[in-house]
Amino acid sequence: MISTLVFRSGLAAVGATALLASGCGSQAAQPQPASAAPAHPASENAYAGLAKLPDWSGVWDPAFLRPPPGQARPAPPKLTPPYAAQYSKYLAENRKTPGLNFVSDQASCVPPGLPQSMTEPYPIEFLFTPGRVTILIETDHLIRRIYTDGRALSEDADPTYQGTSVGHWEGDTLVVETASIVDTTSPMQGINGHSDKFHVTERIRLVQPDVLAITTTRVDPTVFAEPYTTTSYYRRHRDWQIMEYVCEQNNHDALDAHGKPAFSLSHKPE
Amino acid sequence: MSALLCAASLALVGTASAHHSTAMFEWGKEVSLNGTIKEYQWTQPHTFLWVVVEKGNGTTQEWGLEGMSPSWLGRRGWSRHSFKAGDKVSVVYYPLKDHRPGGFYVRVKGSDGKLMEALPQRGG
Repeated sequence: MISTLVFRSGLAAVGATALLASGCGSQAAQPQPASAAPAHPASENAYAGLAKLPDWSGVWDPAFLRPPPGQARPAPPKLTPPYAAQYSKYLAENRKTPGLNFVSDQASCVPPGLPQSMTEPYPIEFLFTPGRVTILIETDHLIRRIYTDGRALSEDADPTYQGTSVGHWEGDTLVVETASIVDTTSPMQGINGHSDKFHVTERIRLVQPDVLAITTTRVDPTVFAEPYTTTSYYRRHRDWQIMEYVCEQNNHDALDAHGKPAFSLSHKPE
Repeated sequence: MSALLCAASLALVGTASAHHSTAMFEWGKEVSLNGTIKEYQWTQPHTFLWVVVEKGNGTTQEWGLEGMSPSWLGRRGWSRHSFKAGDKVSVVYYPLKDHRPGGFYVRVKGSDGKLMEALPQRGG
């Protein structure tokens, strides 16, 4: 089955085997050790080097994966007691009430933090420049800068919504480490808040010519009793463009004064 | 993820779900109304359809219906020109739980017969 996919997709046999091996069932990467000063980024060689990276051009739209028959469901998170209680409440609400029942300040245009920002219902785009991978997220017009120039990950950067990231290539898989994420964001669907020890590892790679997979491992001893890993998939669209997204343009869903879902019928002509 | 999942042909279905709570709507309960568009707002984070509905007693009422974003609708063939003030439409929507004149629009049909399916369809 693997070899059939390889030949149909036109990937080189060795590269594809390495890609599938690294992408499927691999362990989470360890945090980056301290390293030498970054090389000068803008040399001709550095730009030529970008041509060796895998083709992640186009725009990537999150897509759900229907698991093959007989495939076990992903393991549920193992949470510490206060977060387990929050999560149980969210699951119970979802069983009781149709639609989505996760209440967060995103409804009031506060942007999602990493890793939730990578699974919003709008596309993402990857830009390669020397020493860096930049991810553009259409939702709330967010930008992530992943430094691949060998610099160490600071564990004491100013907290930001998308965190501070460094990455390195393992074959055609980009391994990203992120820390220093604002602690009011959601570490996973159904939970609000985490500690300043929250750390995210992502393994990003193609699993089919136009399908990207991102395996995300979340670590935070305050929230997770064990690291929690999920994989999300994205379908490539070469003819799409990332659109502007200014949430405050016409938001009617801001939470009310009690932090509850609300809906404004105030009509401000455009 | 197991090797079996990665090696098998991946069946991609549908699109991601909403990114904030839909608890204010009776999500899934389809109701319909007919009226005249007052304004079609092609805005983020959601498009908005303002429709004037004639009530039985000779008065009118303005309804506010939120919909999918320009990002989503725009990639499925719709644009800010799809509907305009004065168009007569029939709208299927999920109503607000608190019975105010509003909801989330599911599909919009123009008097020329054009039909906007405005929500992700299951499996598609």
